[in-house]
Amino acid sequence: MKKRILSAIMIGAMCTGLLSGCGGGKAASTGDSSAGNNTAAADENTLTVWCWDPAFNINAMKEAEKVYQADHPDFKLNIVETPWADIQTKLSTAGAAGDLSTLPDIFLMQDNAFAKNQISFPDAFTNLTETKAFDFTQFAPGKLAYSTINNINYGVPFDNGTVIAAYRTDILEQAGYKIDDLTDIDWDKYIEIGKDVLAKTGKPLLSCQANEADIIMIMLQSTGASLFDAEGNPNIIGNETLKKALETYKELKESGVMVLVNDWDQYITTMNAETVAGTINGCWIMGSIRAAKDQSGKWAITNLPKLAGIGEQSNYSNNGGSSWAVSGASKKKDLAVDFLAKTFAGSTKLYDSILPSGALATWLPAGNTEAYSEKVEFFGGQEVYKLLTDFASKTPKNNTGVYYYEARDAVAVAATNIIAGADVDSELKTVQDTVNFAMSK
Amino acid sequence: MGTKKKFSLSQKQNISGWIFLTPATLLIAIMSFYPMIRAVILSMQTGVGAKIRFAGLSNYKRMFSDAVFMQSLKNTFIYLIVQVPIMLLFALLLASLLNDKHLRFKGLFRTCIFLPCATSLVSYAIIFRSLFAVDGYINNVLIHLGVLHTGYNFLSNPFTARIVIIIALLWRWTGYNMVFYLAGLQNIEYSIYEAAKIDGATYFQILRKITIPLLKPMILLTAIMSTNGTLQLFDESVNLTGGGPANSTITMSHYIYNSSFKYVPNFGYSAAMSFLILILVAVLAAIQMKVGDKRD
Amino acid sequence: MIKLRTALKYIFLIIVSLISVFPLYWMAVSATHTSIEVIRGALLPGNYLFKNFANLLAASDVSGAMTNSFKYSIVMTVLALFICSLAGYGFEIYHDKAKDAIMSVLLLAMMVPFVAIMIPLFQTFSKWGLLNTTLGFLLPTISTPFLIMLFRQSARSFPHDILEAARLDGLNEFHIFLRIFIPTMKSTYASAAIITFMGAWNSYLWPKVIMTEKTSITMPMLVANLKEGYVTDYGILMLAVLLCSIPTVIIFFLLQKQFAEGITGAVK
Repeated sequence: MKKRILSAIMIGAMCTGLLSGCGGGKAASTGDSSAGNNTAAADENTLTVWCWDPAFNINAMKEAEKVYQADHPDFKLNIVETPWADIQTKLSTAGAAGDLSTLPDIFLMQDNAFAKNQISFPDAFTNLTETKAFDFTQFAPGKLAYSTINNINYGVPFDNGTVIAAYRTDILEQAGYKIDDLTDIDWDKYIEIGKDVLAKTGKPLLSCQANEADIIMIMLQSTGASLFDAEGNPNIIGNETLKKALETYKELKESGVMVLVNDWDQYITTMNAETVAGTINGCWIMGSIRAAKDQSGKWAITNLPKLAGIGEQSNYSNNGGSSWAVSGASKKKDLAVDFLAKTFAGSTKLYDSILPSGALATWLPAGNTEAYSEKVEFFGGQEVYKLLTDFASKTPKNNTGVYYYEARDAVAVAATNIIAGADVDSELKTVQDTVNFAMSK
Repeated sequence: MGTKKKFSLSQKQNISGWIFLTPATLLIAIMSFYPMIRAVILSMQTGVGAKIRFAGLSNYKRMFSDAVFMQSLKNTFIYLIVQVPIMLLFALLLASLLNDKHLRFKGLFRTCIFLPCATSLVSYAIIFRSLFAVDGYINNVLIHLGVLHTGYNFLSNPFTARIVIIIALLWRWTGYNMVFYLAGLQNIEYSIYEAAKIDGATYFQILRKITIPLLKPMILLTAIMSTNGTLQLFDESVNLTGGGPANSTITMSHYIYNSSFKYVPNFGYSAAMSFLILILVAVLAAIQMKVGDKRD
Repeated sequence: MIKLRTALKYIFLIIVSLISVFPLYWMAVSATHTSIEVIRGALLPGNYLFKNFANLLAASDVSGAMTNSFKYSIVMTVLALFICSLAGYGFEIYHDKAKDAIMSVLLLAMMVPFVAIMIPLFQTFSKWGLLNTTLGFLLPTISTPFLIMLFRQSARSFPHDILEAARLDGLNEFHIFLRIFIPTMKSTYASAAIITFMGAWNSYLWPKVIMTEKTSITMPMLVANLKEGYVTDYGILMLAVLLCSIPTVIIFFLLQKQFAEGITGAVK
């Protein structure tokens, strides 16, 4: 009897599930789409935006909304939190399906992926040069280059990826060094000091993620070099800068000055758990460094070592960062363009208000305001923001190239092999072959 | 079993059978086969992103000269050959232990062992990476035991990195497969076991002579599913090792994903590589069906 | 001797269980700490759980994501179990050469990576207006060769004498399925429900392609959002991950009880 009741319940559950399932599905399909399209899309004063970091670019968009609302009281933003990987997947799927109507009016794009996506899905981007709404000369040239393709601007530069070298001044002191000893130096000097610090304190100066080529790409850009030539062809075999960068990487590893970890979380751990005496990365890394509140006052920031004897030889580079793009399929292009022009390319007030979140402007007029002279307690009272704006203006342009990720991954493989003892020249040949293969479609 | 052949199926029953399988079959036809046919067409096109042109079979030829894809094919087969048999045997062992009527805390044990596959990938990846890190727990134990002198970076060596992936797969999916065996064991009369035990059969004799033969349909199912799952393996390669060191752990699906979304998108090529996976799984599954799908 | 063997068995099961549970334990412990404590490797419970909870609720729409995930997963499980078990039953009980052949062909549908069919599927769904809908989430995976085959394989041990007896009693074919097959195959349904629920709950690639509205977010999407920023708060992340794992665990614990009675128990 018990069994029969049980089976009756199961059948009942199934039938109701079936009915409610269909009903629910239908209700959702009419309900959701009307709700979504009518409020967001049909309203002429609302723009939909995709971006990903609540503390950072989402916050910036919310502030920009407020700034724009001062003159346009009906204006509203519909910000949908979407991780970068998902923006890429959605864009690629929609682009390949030839149906761009699903894209928002404005989306944030990683700088390194900008050229690739614009070339692959040209219809997804609005030509911003044509709109004449922006004065692009007011942006840091090194930053602007990422979203400039064939001399046309497709993006409004947003966050700054200027590379910083951050050091634990207390650990340096134990070994007898000051932050000035690590300013304006080259990698040979860095390794020399690094060995001494390691010997005296047991702490490496640098930790990096194995399997990633970030530090090599940073070195490369500091000299103005790229993995591609001006025509977009791979420039790897015979690229002396790349060779020098890879050799430096090997030396860093072998001397113990750089320790390799397996993933991002472990990389953060090395800093927060005090197993390294410093790091080199895009300035957005400051957020993670500052998470260890008990280390306040023990850090200082300076420029990175230069790659001596080659190219422009600067102490400045860039890693990461992103720019805003206006969808080519947007029905409210004019509004989107005007909004970006009056905020991210025209409001010092906006940049002042988002500075506490660590969003550093690449729009140069913003760097002159008072807010940028703030002394940051965590970094021993340094005027960090001013410093970074200065770094950004000195950063050499980078020719990312359309096949950036293919080349970068191939370089990462080569770096791993070189550390394991492989010959640099033959590895460079393999990288060139890999990239050539990827480009031959 | 086998009794059915004596009764000839009436027309009416036959029609019922067709009606029963129609909704599911139609759904698969529309939701999988129709897009698959379009993907076949796509696999014969090439180009960048949205700009594509007809290319015949060139994508299919291309993958055989693609060093990274060939490497991923090799890696994937290593996982398949080493991991799947161990996992299925282990799952079978656990299921037969947990099918004991007299065992206490059965539900608790079962839930614990099932837990890994319900645990979110995010935490599982973080934990596995930190366990096998240079200063991680595994190294500490090995140093204490005197096996190692200093910490060893397991994920920096192709051989040990693959072993870590295999261990991770075993950890995550053994409990999952155990579920099917447990379900299958319920359909076997418990009295058969009791009788065998009274006759003095040992545990392994029971396993070999009774459990495995009666579980054959389920073993076939899990074998095909695991083959399919391993050839399409993605999560572990992406989240545990990132395919490294130097592509020595990258899987086919990981590479296909990269060429669709990370690299300059070439969806025609991705589709072609996907169909190679289909062909490989289909051949392996056909062999497994041939061996295991007999109604005796 | 027997006692020793029993003891060994328990020890073995306890070790396997501990290894299996450890990451969940770590996750739970991490959810009670600040981000920096997680990073530095906390292994004992802390006192930051409520603060993490408050921060998580402030940062993301947990209740919305939970509601969506439950809605999608439950509807999916019920529909998939019914449609696929009916088909599996049809394929096995009335099996002939044609049906066996169709079954083999259906299996092909699961052998191609989803990435390959995602773009054509997206085109179709966009045309049909199914983006951001429950139906859009469900349709591609309601019917899977895997579930059909699971029921087909299980139906093989369904005793045919019961079938014949039911037919003699005058039950029609559909009623035999409903009233006899379903209750008899409880353990198979339980395992299918666990697997389907888990698959729907954790599914990520397809939802992230078709769900573009704030209101249609699922739990895995919420977790992905939390680890995407430049700075990750590991305490909050682990709490979200824990919340995301618990429903499947509860479903399993409740349904695994069905693995206790076999066929004989159900027919009596």
